Amino acid sequence: MIWLPLYGLFYAAVTLYWARLSARSNGDYKTYFSAAHGIPPWISALVISGASLSGWAVLGGTEEIGRHGFGLAAVLQAGIALALPGVLFFKRLWLVAQRLRVSSLVELLRAYWGSEFLTGFAAVVAVLFAVAFAGLQLLTLSRLVVQLGGGAISQEIAAVLLGLVLFGYVVIGGMRAAGYIGALQAVFAAAAILVLAGFSLIDAGGFVALNSGLAKLAADPASASRFLVTGVVQFTAGIGKEAAAGHEGTALASLSFAMALMGLQASPVIIKVVLSTSSPRGLAAGQTWVMAGAFGALAAFCVAVIGAHALIDPARDLSGLLASLSPWFSAWLFIGLVAGVQLMGAIALLSAGETLVRHLYKPFFHSSLSRRDTVTLTRVVIGVLLLASVLMQVLTPVALTLLASLALPLSFQLWVPLLGMTWLRWITRPAAVTGVGFGIAGVLLTEPFGISVLSFFGLDLPWGRNPWTIHSAAWGMAANVAVTLLVSAFTQRRGFGEQASEARNFLFVQLTGSPRVRALRSTAWSVTLVWLFLALGPGLVFGNYTFVTVDGRWALGMPSLWGWSLVMWAAGLGLVWFLAYKMEMASPLSTHIPPYHPRLRPRTGQAEAEQQRRRAFIITIAIGFSLAVVTALSFGHH
Amino acid sequence: MSSSPTPSAASGIERSILIFSIWAVLGFFGLGLFLEGMKYDAWALSATGVGVITLAFIAHIIVNGVFDTGFSQGEAVLGIGAYGVLGLVFVVSAATGTMTMADYYSCLTLFGVLATGFLAYLSTRHGMRGAFSRFHVRPLGKREESL
Repeated sequence: MIWLPLYGLFYAAVTLYWARLSARSNGDYKTYFSAAHGIPPWISALVISGASLSGWAVLGGTEEIGRHGFGLAAVLQAGIALALPGVLFFKRLWLVAQRLRVSSLVELLRAYWGSEFLTGFAAVVAVLFAVAFAGLQLLTLSRLVVQLGGGAISQEIAAVLLGLVLFGYVVIGGMRAAGYIGALQAVFAAAAILVLAGFSLIDAGGFVALNSGLAKLAADPASASRFLVTGVVQFTAGIGKEAAAGHEGTALASLSFAMALMGLQASPVIIKVVLSTSSPRGLAAGQTWVMAGAFGALAAFCVAVIGAHALIDPARDLSGLLASLSPWFSAWLFIGLVAGVQLMGAIALLSAGETLVRHLYKPFFHSSLSRRDTVTLTRVVIGVLLLASVLMQVLTPVALTLLASLALPLSFQLWVPLLGMTWLRWITRPAAVTGVGFGIAGVLLTEPFGISVLSFFGLDLPWGRNPWTIHSAAWGMAANVAVTLLVSAFTQRRGFGEQASEARNFLFVQLTGSPRVRALRSTAWSVTLVWLFLALGPGLVFGNYTFVTVDGRWALGMPSLWGWSLVMWAAGLGLVWFLAYKMEMASPLSTHIPPYHPRLRPRTGQAEAEQQRRRAFIITIAIGFSLAVVTALSFGHH
Repeated sequence: MSSSPTPSAASGIERSILIFSIWAVLGFFGLGLFLEGMKYDAWALSATGVGVITLAFIAHIIVNGVFDTGFSQGEAVLGIGAYGVLGLVFVVSAATGTMTMADYYSCLTLFGVLATGFLAYLSTRHGMRGAFSRFHVRPLGKREESL
């Protein structure tokens, strides 16, 4: 097995070459965090799409279809579901950030909402993405290495090697390296998915043979439900407490899963890339043609083909398929998968490291830290985060899985503050903060992590994961929205901070839509809601039988639900194009944006205040830990 | 060291990213197909691999055209070096008699297509005389005379 190490070495050499090039452009540390906001728009588009879709889609998406069939149709609409928030937020966030001269979501939240709770929460989300979300995908890859290497490389060694490559280029080249290498990785990962689908089809005997195999499964009553959405909703107690009839893939399961995916685009990770981009010129094209178009097609067709093949023959899942190929192809495709996962991992690590050091540690505990030392400390923190991730992959994979599943739904809770910042001016600061707090509670109470923690403390909840077949992202958002509406209604008289007022005025002046856009507003609402209803919402049940003939055969030669998803993907592409260009939600804007300088405030007694904060922080940690131990000993399961 | 690349350097970086992408995808895929053809003694498969590698070259030249530049020195060295190493492997394999006829024709196709393509590229870019001049190193004295 020479090909895997050979291609691995080549990949590592390429990443280090670009890291060195990036470090030179950075001046080692000067533009380490944001590449001097100079990432070209087309590179940014590729990085965002690749990070959002390539890794989990091919690892998680194929597994979902391979195990449970087409019921969770949102997997096939991932490209559109991920492009919609990009169209909604990216342009406005870029403009506000440019005006306020900030370079990350955490800074934006602090400047606009003035809430340290929100900044702390965003930091937690960033860390979850870096350690758990990317770590879980790296864990899957290290298991694949064991299989492909025939046991010559242990999983532990594979996890360390994959971590080392990632660590090397992130620490050396910062955001610029993540961007440059990310563009390569996105193209490579997309090609790998495409070729894997091709090999799947060849292995299955062609598209017709693949669908014949699926038709046999559909004819068997035991497996027929794998080609159906099992109703709009099922009022079950959730996974682990009460099984759903057929399977968990209801229409609301799809809708709520799509919401979780949409959380990715509101995460500090993806927003970091957006704010490091030199211009918003590529946002519309990136979201429309790269994300919804190219990567959306990969999800709707290629991921489905690989998954469908595994559905027919479980031995031909991703690892089985790779193992069946010639070593040069399996090595090349595996490196493509590594590229897709490391793309996500790199920007997540950077975002988490920057947040912890530059946005939390420095302003609270060590404001005199120089720029060089800030970068050095960030590099150390990135190393620690990666070490934690690798250790969890090796020692506590279950805990890693529990934490990873929190990343997306928690990130989705950031939608409310982002909407308040960009579109819904009536959301007040107390409402946004309280709403997110309730959103977090909603997520934790319906996720295995929260349920396990409460159980550890002696409180067994009567429901399991995804009660009523609804993902925790939606439960959290329901609580979030309800509280935000209520609190906003009562706090309308509260004003905004200086920078928030400036951002609101700036957006209002810059983005007063043309009369044409105003005239199209109701159309935009209508088509968006119709698409959401049919592609992700209750309308998915129409897809069960729309393309089934009266004699029970599939009219398109493929499962009706798959055909429905492909049609909806094409319609979704049109929707994204319409919103991005015609509604000017992500269209290019070429106005010069002068920086806004907030009034300077005197800062006295900084050193003393920082010392007090450090003391308070340590005492809080100690008390919290003691309370947790006492509670667990008193009420927990022994 | 600069804190951000100059416009020409930035354009060079963008070109390099495209070149790396092209070869990471088309180059390695073509190589895989070529080897697959050798494995199954299927000349048609190997020839498809050669076709994909040729596509990578064409894409590389198009990118060069877009950025108004030629092959960099490193790229030329890498390309000619790889060609030489592969050629050596081919000659040694052919001499030791370990190749099947399909392998033999596959390799001939690869080298033939690459050599023809290379000459075609040079002649279209520099003209026949200019292409010859790329390799014809004039003595130092002659070069000074022409100055």
